[in-house]
Amino acid sequence: MRQNKLFFVFLIFLFIFRAHFAHASPSRYGGSLVLSIPSDPKTFNDIVSTDAYSGAITGMLFEGLTTADPFTLKVIPNLARSWEVSPDGLQWTFHLRRDVQWFDGTAFSADDVVFTYNDLIYNPEIPSPSKDVLTIDGKPFKVEKVDGYTVRFTLPVKFAPFLRSMAQTILPRHCLWQAVKVKRFSFTWGIDTPPDQIIGTGPFMLSEYHPGERLVFKRNPHYWKRSSQGEALPYLDRVIYLIMQDPQAQLLKFMDGEIDATPVRGSDYPLLKPMEAKKDFKIYEAGAGYDSNFVTFNQNPGVNSQNHRSFVDHVKLSWFTNLEFRRAVAHAIDKKRIIEILDNGFGLPQNGPMSPSSGFFYDPDVTIYDYNLDKARLILIQAGFKYRQGDQTLEDPSGHPVEFNLYTADTGTAGREQMAAIIRSDLERLGMKVNLVPVEFNTLVNKLMASFDWDMVMIGLTGGVEPHFGQNVWLSSGGLHLWDPHQITPATDWEKRLDEIYDEGAQELDENKRKILYDEFQRIVADQLPVIYTVLNMDMYAVRNKFGNLKPTVNGGAFHNIEEIYIKK
Amino acid sequence: MIKHIIQRFCSTILLLLAVSFFTFWLMHSTPGNFFDSLRLNPQISQETVARYEKLYHLNDHLLVQYGHWIFNILHGEWGYSFYYNVPVTHVLGSRLFNTFILSFTSLVLTWAAAIPLGIWAALRRNQWVDRVLSVFSFAAFSTPSFFLAVLVLYAASRWGALPLGGMHSPHYDDMSFIDKIKDTALHLVIPASVLSLSAMASLQRIMRGNMLGVLRQQYILAARAKGLPERVVIYRHALRNAFNPLVTLLGYEFASLLSGAALIEIVCSWPGLGSLLLTAVRAKDIYLVMSATLLAGVLLVIGNVLADILLTWVDPRIRYEKK
Amino acid sequence: MALICFWTLVVFYALAIFADLISPYSYKDEDRDFSYCPPTAVEFMDHGQWVQPFVYGRALTFDSTHRRVYVIDQAQKYPMRFFKGGRLFTVDAPGRVYLWGADARGRDLFSRIWYGARISLSIGLIGVAISFILGLLIGGIAGYYGGWVDGALMRVCEMFMMIPGFYLMLALRAAVPENFNSVQIYFSVVVILALIGWASLARIIRGMALSLRERDYVLAAKTLGVPDIVIILKHILPQTISYSMATLMLTVSSYILAEAGLSVVGLGIQDPIPSWGNLLSDAMGIVPVIFAPWILLPGLFIFLAVMCFNVVGDALRDAFDPMFNEGAS
Repeated sequence: MRQNKLFFVFLIFLFIFRAHFAHASPSRYGGSLVLSIPSDPKTFNDIVSTDAYSGAITGMLFEGLTTADPFTLKVIPNLARSWEVSPDGLQWTFHLRRDVQWFDGTAFSADDVVFTYNDLIYNPEIPSPSKDVLTIDGKPFKVEKVDGYTVRFTLPVKFAPFLRSMAQTILPRHCLWQAVKVKRFSFTWGIDTPPDQIIGTGPFMLSEYHPGERLVFKRNPHYWKRSSQGEALPYLDRVIYLIMQDPQAQLLKFMDGEIDATPVRGSDYPLLKPMEAKKDFKIYEAGAGYDSNFVTFNQNPGVNSQNHRSFVDHVKLSWFTNLEFRRAVAHAIDKKRIIEILDNGFGLPQNGPMSPSSGFFYDPDVTIYDYNLDKARLILIQAGFKYRQGDQTLEDPSGHPVEFNLYTADTGTAGREQMAAIIRSDLERLGMKVNLVPVEFNTLVNKLMASFDWDMVMIGLTGGVEPHFGQNVWLSSGGLHLWDPHQITPATDWEKRLDEIYDEGAQELDENKRKILYDEFQRIVADQLPVIYTVLNMDMYAVRNKFGNLKPTVNGGAFHNIEEIYIKK
Repeated sequence: MIKHIIQRFCSTILLLLAVSFFTFWLMHSTPGNFFDSLRLNPQISQETVARYEKLYHLNDHLLVQYGHWIFNILHGEWGYSFYYNVPVTHVLGSRLFNTFILSFTSLVLTWAAAIPLGIWAALRRNQWVDRVLSVFSFAAFSTPSFFLAVLVLYAASRWGALPLGGMHSPHYDDMSFIDKIKDTALHLVIPASVLSLSAMASLQRIMRGNMLGVLRQQYILAARAKGLPERVVIYRHALRNAFNPLVTLLGYEFASLLSGAALIEIVCSWPGLGSLLLTAVRAKDIYLVMSATLLAGVLLVIGNVLADILLTWVDPRIRYEKK
Repeated sequence: MALICFWTLVVFYALAIFADLISPYSYKDEDRDFSYCPPTAVEFMDHGQWVQPFVYGRALTFDSTHRRVYVIDQAQKYPMRFFKGGRLFTVDAPGRVYLWGADARGRDLFSRIWYGARISLSIGLIGVAISFILGLLIGGIAGYYGGWVDGALMRVCEMFMMIPGFYLMLALRAAVPENFNSVQIYFSVVVILALIGWASLARIIRGMALSLRERDYVLAAKTLGVPDIVIILKHILPQTISYSMATLMLTVSSYILAEAGLSVVGLGIQDPIPSWGNLLSDAMGIVPVIFAPWILLPGLFIFLAVMCFNVVGDALRDAFDPMFNEGAS
């Protein structure tokens, strides 16, 4: 009798309990997120892509063995669920997840990992930017399959950023091995590939692409990640990227409700902030960004192999390679005003290659060049430059008037064109004649990476927490060593020292010793000025309030956890 | 009439050839080693570059190159867009259609507004209606269209009922056919109305002028003397005669709308041929620039031929003259 | 009405020519302390008394939403200086007088509009001059000779008219080397404008020439053995001038608009040289329109100049049309 009563109570309890749960969590599934991007991607092939926009797109589709926690910045497991390292630090064994599927349903396995490294990244015929970061002292990692779900990496020497570098995306072997075999991999998965052929493991897959208009991603039903309550992710049905070159148009579309989120520039802030309540969104201020803005001079002494002309006219080269010239220019960058004028006071002056948001490795003690045109003129005069009587044109020691072109890309980022106009006007006060030449972003990239026909460029690079990942920029042999790329031997002593620092820094496992090295790196850059930094923008995002699980960070933006984002009902 | 059409057709072909040659010559007088920089771009295969070099006979004389270009165009090979990294035809098709929609809608709007307003102004000559319309006309075709577009966009952002730029909503692909039409129509409101405004203004004045001219004619006087009701006089007799000469303008209308559309497209982010051309020019994407310009010319020529045919059909004098 | 417009234009051109005198600052003169400063009122009264006109000092602050707010400092007074340094009116540094507000870099919009007038108004005129010469010659020759010469030349005209103006402008602009300096760009823009407009002018001239060549005095001249080219230049063309004037006015207005269009997309005159078009390109956005509405003033000037040219042209056409029609019968 008592048992029955207990059982009855138990049943009632269960009933109430279930009823409670039934009302507590309405389904988070469904809905779409509409974002915008300023430029079409150049390719969907993550291995050969070099620009940030293509990278943003492929970041939705592909994943790596590890990833970084957006808050603690520490390395956490991703496609690999765990790993061990040998005592000498050279052998790493990764145990892969067994529940990951490619978009077409094929199981993800060690074969894909081995293929990605050995056949793609380390393939001498494939121009992959990652190759350099994953090579130490000219030696690649040895990547072997141990069994279906276990991969072993053997490093030639100790490599401090190794685990972080395992965020390198993995591509599917079964789709791409044939292209590699016939040596067409570099041109596969270009932007005219049918969307359903782009196969990854990420939370979303490409559903449609209309060039110049939009990209549409739909949910990956086989995605392996689960929410903390065990629900299958992602929640959203779709993510749509509208391609909007004009930042004004982007702002308008956010205001009329067509886009759900937009990066907020300092100058937009006074417009958007008062609208927060009425239009139901919130502005998140994530902190000083990682993306640098700088100007750089072309110091490339090389010759164009097609028409046998030097990349840079030798008269100009003599100015650009002159440190005093660059120092004078550095004193002509009015950082404070640039921040005030372009960003209404949001932002910080940038003095070196790393941002305060990089955390541990950031070194604030670098040479700072104050905005002082008189000092700049003095430096120039002491370096042998002269001011012509009458119009005060600056002439070099040989009597050539100083005139050159400043190229900048006008794709809605950071107001670079306006920044360039301000710098140009200050350089004019120094007596230099500077022609501002705005070009398309991709054209600029082409100039910097392929044709090398430029004098001075204003551009920016994405940054991060780990200084080693900037290797392509700072190694003299790097492809992103913009002012003089692909050097066979270092052209100057300080570039040689940077090469050494990067080598040592990569192999030094003691964080504090690494910091000493990278501090030196930052000081060298600020002293030698291969690039002259301008300002760091404040990362801010306006996102509609209907989205749940929003946790914006500088590291990842507003949607780094896109698989967890849902629409509140 | 057939003979007339054939004649027109032949001269059109000649014209198109001339336009294409001009565009071609223009592009080749651009200084710069276009193909050199292409060769160095690792993301464009050497085969693609080699293929296009062969296809266009880049090392031959200019006229030979031109010949090959035309030959290729007729075979559907319009060149490669190095900016978008796809053959030009992939990008041109939809853009052309979009520009056409915008221009055509503006044309319809212009005529639908200008004709009645012109008649009204003529009938109320020198009264306040006429004066107001006159001032409005001058104002309308003196305003820079892009400036007006910005102001309208700003006003619309305050009002909140219209989409601010672009052609489709983000969810366009999911919409039913009817909804797609509605969506596009909503997006058309701002660009098409700004575009029509200045065309409307000049057309209205011309209509007014024609109407006034016709109303002075003898046969109108005769019709009135016959005792016909004023409405019949105006709408059956005067109107048709005032209207016909306007059809000759149809061609020029279309030309200026097409041209004006380019700037509006850019300001309102309408994905048409004009905004494509701007991107192509900035990127120095040679084949895309040539193709877009040529296409605009072709569109115009076709528009003119159609207008001509329309005129022939509408104006009996021409038809009878031919006999 | 047309007279008002005519005199307005004269005033515009005069002010443009004397831009150096009437503007307090050069078009390049930046003062970054005054980014987007609203128009500074010129004060005539101080504590209820009439005084020599002056301007208060202003300081830039940002409010809680990072919006620019210029705080007037009544303790700082900068008296207006007249005819100092070759300028009609100015103030001593560090004060600034911004009659029509400042742009992003603290450059005086009033000054820039008048320097810009030089470019915008002159480009229209020079472009029209070139178009006109081209149109006169080609149209005159075509109309006078008739026959196959006429046919061929008219086909060339049609060809130019077949490419929509803006497209032709962009295509021509693409052919201009990217590192031209500002003077070279100015002339390229002039040439480009001239090339898009000459064709319709030529057609009109040709039409007139065709009818004029039947006139008695032309036939007489021919019989006398006067060379054709002299006939064209001395007899036919002068007759076309009066009617052409009307068309010219209308063409200038369309060229001013065309230059504005080109500059607004960044392909025309480049910073720091102002033209009304590139001044407007600063205004092509919601943020400047809302927070610095004075930045839209160049648009008003373009509108006024174009409208005046249109009204004058229209009036000229009305004036000459009946005369012409009489003659042509």
